[in-house]
Amino acid sequence: MAEKSAVPSDLYKFVYSFLLENKFAKAAQQFVKKTKVNPQDANESGLVDIYNFWVKSPEAKKRKAVPADAKVVNGPSAKKAKPGAEGSSSEDSSSDEEEAAGPSAKTAPASAKVVPPKTVAAKAAASSSSDDSSEDEAPPAKKPAKAPAKAPAKPAAVAAGKRKGDSSSSSEESDSEDAKAPATKPKAAAVTTPKAAVAAKATPKKGDSSEDSSSDSEDDKPAKAAVKPATPAKPAAAAAAAAKSSSEDSSSEEEAAAPPPTKKSKPGAYSAVPPPAPVVIATKAKAASSSDDSSDEEAKKTPAKPATVKATPAKPKAPAKKDSSSDSSDSTKKAPVKPAAKDSSSSSEEEEVEKTPAKATPAKATPAKATPAKESSSEDSSSDEEEAAAAAKKPVAKAPAKTPPAKAAPVKKDSSSSDSSSEDEAQAKPASKPAAKPASKPAAKPASKPAAKPASKPAATPKAPPATKPAAKPAAKSPAAAKPAESSSDSSSEEEEAAKPAAKSPAAAKSPAAAKSPAAAKPAESSSDSSSEEEEAAKPAAKSPAAAKSPAAAKSPAASKSPAESSSDSSSEEEAAKPAAKSPAAAKSPAAKSPAAAKPAESSSDSSSEEEAAKPAAKPAAKSPAKPAAKSPAAAKSPAAAKPAAKSPAAKSPAAAKPAESSSDSSSEEEEAAKPAAKSPAAAKPAAKSPAAAKPAAKSPAAAKPAESSSDSSSEEEEAAKPAAKSPAAAKPAAKSPPATPAKSPLTNGKKAAAKAKESSSDSSEEEEAPAKAVGKKATPKSTPAATPKTTPAAKAKEDSSSSDSSSEEEEAAPKAATAPTTPVVNGTNGKRKKDDSSENEEEEDEEKTPKTKKVMTTPQTFPKANAKNVPFRRIREEEIEVDQRLANNSFDAKRGSNGDWGQKANDVLRHTKGKSFRHEKTKKKRGSYCGGAISFSVNSIKFDSE
Amino acid sequence: MRPEFSPRGERGGRGSFRGRGSFGDRGGSRGGFGDRGGSRGGFGDRGGSRGGFGDRGGFRGGRGGSFRSPEGGGFRGRGGGRGAPRGRGGFGAGRKVVVEPHRHEGVFICRGKEDALVTKNMAVGESVYGEKRISVEEGETKIEYRAWNPFRSKLAAAILGGVDQIHIKPGAKVMYLGAASGTTVSHVSDIVGPEGLVYAVEFSHRSGRDLLNVAKKRTNIIPIIEDARHPHKYRMLVGMVDVIFADVAQPDQTRIVALNAHNFLKNGGHFVISIKANCIDSTAAPEAVFASEVKKMGAENMKPQEQLTLEPYERDHAIVVGIYRPPAKQKK
Repeated sequence: MAEKSAVPSDLYKFVYSFLLENKFAKAAQQFVKKTKVNPQDANESGLVDIYNFWVKSPEAKKRKAVPADAKVVNGPSAKKAKPGAEGSSSEDSSSDEEEAAGPSAKTAPASAKVVPPKTVAAKAAASSSSDDSSEDEAPPAKKPAKAPAKAPAKPAAVAAGKRKGDSSSSSEESDSEDAKAPATKPKAAAVTTPKAAVAAKATPKKGDSSEDSSSDSEDDKPAKAAVKPATPAKPAAAAAAAAKSSSEDSSSEEEAAAPPPTKKSKPGAYSAVPPPAPVVIATKAKAASSSDDSSDEEAKKTPAKPATVKATPAKPKAPAKKDSSSDSSDSTKKAPVKPAAKDSSSSSEEEEVEKTPAKATPAKATPAKATPAKESSSEDSSSDEEEAAAAAKKPVAKAPAKTPPAKAAPVKKDSSSSDSSSEDEAQAKPASKPAAKPASKPAAKPASKPAAKPASKPAATPKAPPATKPAAKPAAKSPAAAKPAESSSDSSSEEEEAAKPAAKSPAAAKSPAAAKSPAAAKPAESSSDSSSEEEEAAKPAAKSPAAAKSPAAAKSPAASKSPAESSSDSSSEEEAAKPAAKSPAAAKSPAAKSPAAAKPAESSSDSSSEEEAAKPAAKPAAKSPAKPAAKSPAAAKSPAAAKPAAKSPAAKSPAAAKPAESSSDSSSEEEEAAKPAAKSPAAAKPAAKSPAAAKPAAKSPAAAKPAESSSDSSSEEEEAAKPAAKSPAAAKPAAKSPPATPAKSPLTNGKKAAAKAKESSSDSSEEEEAPAKAVGKKATPKSTPAATPKTTPAAKAKEDSSSSDSSSEEEEAAPKAATAPTTPVVNGTNGKRKKDDSSENEEEEDEEKTPKTKKVMTTPQTFPKANAKNVPFRRIREEEIEVDQRLANNSFDAKRGSNGDWGQKANDVLRHTKGKSFRHEKTKKKRGSYCGGAISFSVNSIKFDSE
Repeated sequence: MRPEFSPRGERGGRGSFRGRGSFGDRGGSRGGFGDRGGSRGGFGDRGGSRGGFGDRGGFRGGRGGSFRSPEGGGFRGRGGGRGAPRGRGGFGAGRKVVVEPHRHEGVFICRGKEDALVTKNMAVGESVYGEKRISVEEGETKIEYRAWNPFRSKLAAAILGGVDQIHIKPGAKVMYLGAASGTTVSHVSDIVGPEGLVYAVEFSHRSGRDLLNVAKKRTNIIPIIEDARHPHKYRMLVGMVDVIFADVAQPDQTRIVALNAHNFLKNGGHFVISIKANCIDSTAAPEAVFASEVKKMGAENMKPQEQLTLEPYERDHAIVVGIYRPPAKQKK
């Protein structure tokens, strides 16, 4: 908190101006209040320009690359930073998360901090998480009050919070969740986003991803800043209160819809961006990017602690992820905002189109998830439930999208990162664009993004709106096939199937084309995908699928790319897993993953995310957890690489040939665990980090290669999970899947936490998913149980939004899962088996849920109910009855011999009467005063032919 | 006794009692009648001031008087203004009334200035529900007929409407579902005569009380206060019947009739069902409802033979007459 005040970002001004420019008056006011920035409208350079510069700068790439290094090195610092850093922006948040995770004390720091932590956690605690965390943190730092708000949210998140206690990133997440259920949700969303961002950053192509991530981070920061502003808005929302920043975002998104979030994100983006940019400039290069993000966050947090910074470093990858996550969060936020604001690209559009309200919510949810994660998620979930899962999903989708970008950044960062980034960007841009991003993006990534975005957006939009997305996706996929993007796109498309397909396909197309350069393009795609996913209930699925696919593809690529691997591994356990190529990954996820090495990983990640989501029990929490989980995995991995300590899970994963995988698994598990309550300590922070990392990793992988897809998937999953989580949270409120999910997730987490929690968790998740379905489903499935549905969901998220109600989500998820099935199956089998032992219940539930969710999807539930309700009861269906022509008129006049009949006089009187008067007239006739004249013996009846 | 009866008979009268109930004593004195009533404001007022009964009595009394002293032509006053011109003359024709049998056995038409549907009163000297009685002296035998108001009885409405067959004739065993207070049942009892039987099934205890009172005076009526949906509850009381007449006005009335037909209706027996469209589906067109019910009958081995609207006596009603399990050969 102090941090914020202490460390005013250079970017704040820009952010503020950006807000003003974009007419986000409220957000601007809030921002000013919290940041106390002197408005310098004169400086037109603006966030956009800065962002563009930052994106374009080679450093950005370096940043991404660095992340890994940074992670290792920074890892510690980041962690340290977290504690202190909370105050700071995203970095702070990350640090907070880390801190929270590591030092449970940090979580305590203050409700505010806690919140941040959560956010951080959401962000993955890791670097990526840092963004989210920063958001969360920022809010806390800025506003202790937020913490309180979060606290409310926490209840839901509590479970997660408990786990948070643990220290790992997951713990952070959980902490954040716990601390601020609301916040958590937001965080979760944020986390997811962060993850995405992180992923982007983490990855390799830090440049792109870093840009994205930076943007994300910026967004995050803004988010934080925004958060404060947003917070106010959120307060209005209800959820809002809980998680200030995230919650605010989410809430704001939900409530205000896009505007607040956007603003926030923008501001955040700006603020964040600046820092990142500086860092980048500094030369930290790749690491810088991630580190920057993290650093930024850390910086904010820093005050709090070096740990934060370390975390960031460690996070580097994670940071990247975080960035991505943050981006995603931002994007998600933006997305919500976007609808209101701009482009918001396809996602926003889609959301808008599909469900503006819902979208807004969803978007919010996502954002919330990313940042606020839980809060947002919770809110989202709630909102989703209320409004529509779609909204939630969208957010999720976005988050996923973000992740992807991150991934893309790494190896093929372009494609993957671009995807993720694009997604994020798309979302963010759309939203943010209105404000700073629009400009910035154009500048830096802009080109690619623009292209990507345009394409993606259009595609996305189309997709989203249309159920066709699936088709679109397929198309996208095919393209993607060529590239990681394809895989991602495929997966996404699968998940999204309907809406997303279109979006994805575009994305896919873009990603391929843009490849990394396209980071923008990819991002757009991813964003589009994610957005589409979010927008569409299906989208979530699509995303996850995309993720899964991309992961698979990405993973292999990632595998090929050692750097990417490390980052990818750490960043995306899933990816690592995917890398199947990578023995570790193969080994771990493999079992499940082997089928889709990449996907497995994804699935695992998904599962973790799902679990996390589930854990969030409070969906929000769950979501955030999910994200965290995702992140954590990443974190774990990264940790393994960067900060093993932080994440024992990571260590585990590392232990595996590809720590990343194992770590990712473990991390995911951890994350999940963390999410649940702080699940396992390691999980706690690691989780937090890992989540971030996971996402980042995922992202990085994505970036590295198709990894993106994996990352996407993870992110998607996470997002989905978050949404799901949220929805669950909502659901819990509702009482649907959420409860189950949470419970499951906890279980899973717990189990996971246990020795090889990861595998088991992944397995469990996989199992869950598996039941649910193939790949997409797996991820989803896993999440489904609790989070699974959600995770899967990115698509699920959408579903969530649509189905948002837990049940609906689950159902939807299930359908999605079905779509995804391929991967899921693999994962499911692997994961399931393992998990079965650990948590059969969870799995079962998950499975049930997932399947349901997927199957149900949004549509099913919605329509049936509506229809059923609207149909009046009737014993006789006139249209089904054939009336004899002679009997078609029952009136007296139509009768034979009516003329001159004894009753004719009565008929003359009675036929004009009705109701009471009829009764009156008839009563008079009954008295016997009626004179009808002569009575005839004629037969006037109508005979039936028979006989 | 007469007074009591008349009130009961008069639905309107009942109403009046009810209205009066508010006064307390009156209601109490009225007892059963009060309960039944419909609700008629006008009477209430009058009754209130004077005492329902008395009042009623007065009202009817006038008429009653005419009944008692109807020696002249056998027509009782119909009461009211109509008769005014003639003083008392009942059916237009006053003293000169000719009663001729209807196409339906057991049913008669009283030809006068105004024709009326009548049945031969089984319980001479008593009105069941305040209906007019017409006594005709042929030589030394005095035959009393009761007017049958189609606005009160659906069977009467069907007859006046021109239904081809009612299958209810002297000596027939009839199951009457939905007997209510026994107004129509009393006429069916007149039709079937001493040789026939009427199983009157009514589920409402309130109206069942009146039904029991009717059955006390008419030995061919077997009152059954049970739910017609559960024929096994009164199977020990009922033998095979020739005709089932149903006026239950229930959504599942076709099923109810089918249940009883399966239990008590002889093969080749007939059923006469009055259908109130609003009781089955008030949102659907009456014609569609009737068609639907007719279709259902077909599925229960009940072959509908004819359908007739009950307009203008009843609104959205139709009566369906059919045969149960017609002999295969017959068909041909």
